[in-house]
Amino acid sequence: MSAVIAATNLSKWYGNVLGLNDVTLELEEGITGLLGPNGAGKSTFMKLITGQLKPNIGTVTIRGRKVWNDPEIFRGIGFCTEQDVFYEDVTGWEFLKGLLRFYGYTPAEIAERAARALDIVGLTEDKDRLIRGYSRGMRQRIKFAQAVAHDPEILILDEPLSGLDPLGKRKLIRLIRDFKSQGRTVLVSSHVLPEIEALTSRIVLIHQGKILAQGDIPFIRELIEKHPHQISVRSSDPRALAARFVGDTSIQKMTFDPDGRTVVVETHQRDGFFGRLTGVVLEAGIEVDEISSPDDNLQSVFEYLVEK
Amino acid sequence: MTAAKAARQVFGFFGFLGRRTGKTRVFAALGLIPVALAILVRVFLHGRAGLMADVSTEILMVFFLQFYIVILALFYGTSVAAEEVENRTLSYLITRPIPKTSIVLGKFAAYAALMFAMVGLSLGLSYFIINAARLGDPEVYGTFLRYLGVLGLGILAYTAFFTFLGTVLKRAIIVGLVFGFGWENVIQYFPGSTQRFSVVHYLKSLLPYTPGSTPTGRGVALLLFRLEPTSPVVAVLVLAAITGVLLALACVVFRTKEYLPEE
Repeated sequence: MSAVIAATNLSKWYGNVLGLNDVTLELEEGITGLLGPNGAGKSTFMKLITGQLKPNIGTVTIRGRKVWNDPEIFRGIGFCTEQDVFYEDVTGWEFLKGLLRFYGYTPAEIAERAARALDIVGLTEDKDRLIRGYSRGMRQRIKFAQAVAHDPEILILDEPLSGLDPLGKRKLIRLIRDFKSQGRTVLVSSHVLPEIEALTSRIVLIHQGKILAQGDIPFIRELIEKHPHQISVRSSDPRALAARFVGDTSIQKMTFDPDGRTVVVETHQRDGFFGRLTGVVLEAGIEVDEISSPDDNLQSVFEYLVEK
Repeated sequence: MTAAKAARQVFGFFGFLGRRTGKTRVFAALGLIPVALAILVRVFLHGRAGLMADVSTEILMVFFLQFYIVILALFYGTSVAAEEVENRTLSYLITRPIPKTSIVLGKFAAYAALMFAMVGLSLGLSYFIINAARLGDPEVYGTFLRYLGVLGLGILAYTAFFTFLGTVLKRAIIVGLVFGFGWENVIQYFPGSTQRFSVVHYLKSLLPYTPGSTPTGRGVALLLFRLEPTSPVVAVLVLAAITGVLLALACVVFRTKEYLPEE
């Protein structure tokens, strides 16, 4: 599959500060999460691929076209800025209609698209309120609405879930997933791992202007073989279970939770452990209540890579 | 979409936005000052409309020419680019399928039209209140249109200058204040050709009277003090050139410059 968004040896600096360092990246259709702490270079990357910044070195293309000073390319791109900024003295309806004018639609089309976008984000009832009177969640949603109102093929969202309450996050996550399910391309950045995890398993980890790793979660786990996986097993007899694994060389550490019913195992071979665990449980007749992997979450992978 | 059509769309959007902002309300209120002054003049000079009306009108023109259009152009002109950068709303514009030059031209035109409306309304009210006793005289209307034309050209030239300044500098307002109320106010009184390095010199050269042109006292007040006028045709050409060249430069800068967020 050809890349939708491609960056080649992309570097950007602000005076003496390096914003992005020799990034080469190809993003395909579907949702890709750009993950990194604040100041990692996510927004710089987003601004470069939306033509807001000009690369110092390297190129960035969308569908093979260079982005800088090519306005026609934005007919198929929707961008949602990280910042909570608006033309505050207009209503949500006027804001959307105003921005839709720039696509050359007829007034009827503009009104139809603005109404549809407001409906998608659930702001139809509040469309005639001034944006300055919107709550944070409503502001995030109207920002999303302006990004999708022209029905773009590619959606670029810079920290779209930032500042939203859990319900607002769930709504927006659903909207982004709906958008992806229509065969579109979405690039979404965040510094909060569970947010990305809720959206996609395809991630790009960025830190200090560099790409640390990219791929889906199993791929990233392969990259970090030295990173032990934690598996928590709650059972009727955790010590008996642990005794069965004492001789297993793939296990590095076993600890017991204070509840007395849980053993936490650290291993490099997660899949192998699960296979052996099934045999042991059946053989010893130990009743297992719950198996979970506390670090089966991007957070630990990310932390490990950053420390590495 | 063609650049011209895109500029029209930008014009429509910012014409609408411009009318909504607090800045416009403040400057529109400022435009009431000459109207209030005109009412005072009318009340106190009732029945003595001739000379005093002329002098009062000229005082009003000092306000319009050397203060009102300059301050309007300064704030609206610099904001064409700078307000988008400072308010961080630039991303809403430059991630649309419109050329960057259309953004500059469309916003410039929208703000110029807005300023012209404010100036026209303020001038119209104050001028006709002062000259209410002479409304039957066709010359009154001719003079009004001449004033309006001069102020319109002034708005275009100053706004183009400040638009250019706003695309180039981060603190364009400060430099603009020095230019608008420092350089322009001083250099216009220099003798010889030096005064031609000010915009206001060409605007004054287009006023409906010249120094010593009438025996009634017109042309002896502030506006014509030390004015060595340029011919009207040349003045119009120079003002058009200032507007065109500076707008073109503003477009080039805005298209090629990268506006970095201040973080």
